[in-house]
Amino acid sequence: MENQDKLPTYSGTWIWQALTGIVLVILLSLHMIAHHFVVEGGLRTYEDVLRYVANPIIIVLEVIFLGVVTYHAMAGVRAILFDLDMSDRAKTRTTRVLTVVGLILVAWGLYLSFYLFRIATA
Amino acid sequence: MAVPIQQQSTVRRAIKAWFDPRGRSTGLIAFALMRLSGIGLVVYLLLHLVVLSTLTGAPAPEAWDTFVRMAKHPAFLLLDVILIAGILVHMLNGLRVTVVGLGFGTNSHKGLFWTLMAVAVLLVAYAAWLIFTK
Repeated sequence: MENQDKLPTYSGTWIWQALTGIVLVILLSLHMIAHHFVVEGGLRTYEDVLRYVANPIIIVLEVIFLGVVTYHAMAGVRAILFDLDMSDRAKTRTTRVLTVVGLILVAWGLYLSFYLFRIATA
Repeated sequence: MAVPIQQQSTVRRAIKAWFDPRGRSTGLIAFALMRLSGIGLVVYLLLHLVVLSTLTGAPAPEAWDTFVRMAKHPAFLLLDVILIAGILVHMLNGLRVTVVGLGFGTNSHKGLFWTLMAVAVLLVAYAAWLIFTK
């Protein structure tokens, strides 16, 4: 029983940061391989990029990557800011602001993805 | 001979306090590298979206091709190498933090850190070779 008291406790944020981090290792590897190694010399021209995004599987992977990386990034920034000894009110505000920033980034990335997909498949 | 700390200028002492890694614990160095690389990667994420937005502008092919021409400059390629270094340090150290945080290898986490950083150095060297020669 005494030993159990010494077991580390995990905050929800820590677990999510670790999980999304592991998912990102996989997604970033796919992202880099697809961009730089599948086409000889990598995606260089505008036409290369359009041919790449015309594949629906690629769009799905890129959109998942966008969501996971943005969450991981905003949670990381939040952890850094929280170390500045904030009041609880400031923490709530910080979380809100970072949530909005994250949603804007995802919306921006989604717009880019679907705009290009539409042109590439037109 | 080393100048006694009292005789060093305030600026020099401040710079040392921030950037001199000697005598710091491995954990602190790992923590600092994790945060520095993390902040760098967040900035890169923003820049990446800005650059990709040139794909949607009115003269899209021209704007994109101009960017790609610029991205082939050696100074820009050096930034690519720095990006790869940031990704590898953050990724490998993040995996270490996860493994150690879950209770595995807690007694060898320092050795694990330096081993992974050595792996990062080798991979960055390989990536730099690919970036500058391919």
